[in-house]
Amino acid sequence: MKTYTLTSIILSVGLGLSSLSAATLADAANIDVAKVCDVKANGIEGVLKTAAEYNALAKKLGVEFKRKGVTTSQYITDTEAAVKAKAKEVTLKYTKKGKVKKHTFATTYAAWRACHFAVRAVQQVNEAETTWRLAVPGDGFKF
Amino acid sequence: MNVIKITVAALLMASLASAASFNTQAEKDRKALIAYMEKKFSDPAKNKGSFFPYSTNEELSKRFTKGIKRDAFRLGSYAYDKGGKSQYDEVMEMPPFEDNIDAGKALYEKKFANGKTFKSCFPDPAIAGEYPKFDDKKGTVVTLTLAINECLKANGEKPWKMKKGKMADLEAYFASASTEAGKKVHIVIQSEAAAQAYEAGKKAYYSQRGYLKLSCATCHVQGTGKRVRNEYMSPLLGHTTHFPVYRLKWQGLGTLERRIEGCNKDEGEKPHKPGSPWMSNVLYFMAYMSNEMPVDGPAIRK
Repeated sequence: MKTYTLTSIILSVGLGLSSLSAATLADAANIDVAKVCDVKANGIEGVLKTAAEYNALAKKLGVEFKRKGVTTSQYITDTEAAVKAKAKEVTLKYTKKGKVKKHTFATTYAAWRACHFAVRAVQQVNEAETTWRLAVPGDGFKF
Repeated sequence: MNVIKITVAALLMASLASAASFNTQAEKDRKALIAYMEKKFSDPAKNKGSFFPYSTNEELSKRFTKGIKRDAFRLGSYAYDKGGKSQYDEVMEMPPFEDNIDAGKALYEKKFANGKTFKSCFPDPAIAGEYPKFDDKKGTVVTLTLAINECLKANGEKPWKMKKGKMADLEAYFASASTEAGKKVHIVIQSEAAAQAYEAGKKAYYSQRGYLKLSCATCHVQGTGKRVRNEYMSPLLGHTTHFPVYRLKWQGLGTLERRIEGCNKDEGEKPHKPGSPWMSNVLYFMAYMSNEMPVDGPAIRK
């Protein structure tokens, strides 16, 4: 009984610590992006937290997304600022050919996109491990 | 005495054999890429089912050139796009980069503050086909762009920006001198570390990335010759032979690094910086794929 309790404590502490630690490639492979990035189910702060964790890994791996001048990092920081300010919309500014441009989204949508981009960037690294050779002529790609 | 000679000869043979073995995989890749491109463009209309399912019969039979061989791919999509090639030929009668070549020559000859010139690092300017190189001492790939900046730093000068301006001008002069001298691309993989850098570049080239989940190969291997809006995508084979290029979109000259950054953006990812290991390894792989092809730069592209 004592052994069982001790094991439970160790497991609980371990799981608790792992939830606080940085995201890993292995974590990314097993998560359902639709579920972890669902704003209604996880709350906007929770979704942004997931985005920040996975985007840190994406940056480390050199695979951060950038859509129409806006990086995932900017989606995260600007959306976090909008949440703090209790704004319903977030305006993302970027420069193109020296001119300042902007995209405006609902805050919940921007959070979903930040999370989706961050997680998918890392998941694609896992996927590429098994797919890249399939495109190499003379290797996996037959013609 | 004979024993010494035999031993030296044996060691030399062994070292040559091992040097050759480092590029075994790269040679297989290069030959397979040539075979793929030549087969694809042997008769595009006939190959519609296997290579061009979304193209129209009209464009494949009338707008495409058939029977293209390796060296012609240095022209990029103009190798098979008849309309694009005729426009290219017209522009090349008075190329817009002539002034850039002259500016590059002036930079090559201009004295640094210490009295030396670029000649102290690059005695022969016809070196465009020899880069990137793998530096075994540093354990990294050195692109022509990085080599130019290393030369500047070694002579107490500030490094240049790596995408356009002076860098593109000097590289245009190197490319022009190489083309005039009839030089061919000659990329060497001389060590295990160099082979690893090549493999890293190859993996990066074929890996899907960005929010559009595209790889470089999506457009420039499997996508070669396919139409995006009104333009045909260019082939990986021969890609590095003609840089720097004057792009009509840029209204100016740009280095390979500048072009790759553009591709990164098109894939929906944060671009990799010129001089980063990712960029240098990819360029090393790309340049190896063009080995033995004539240097044909600078050039013009849309």
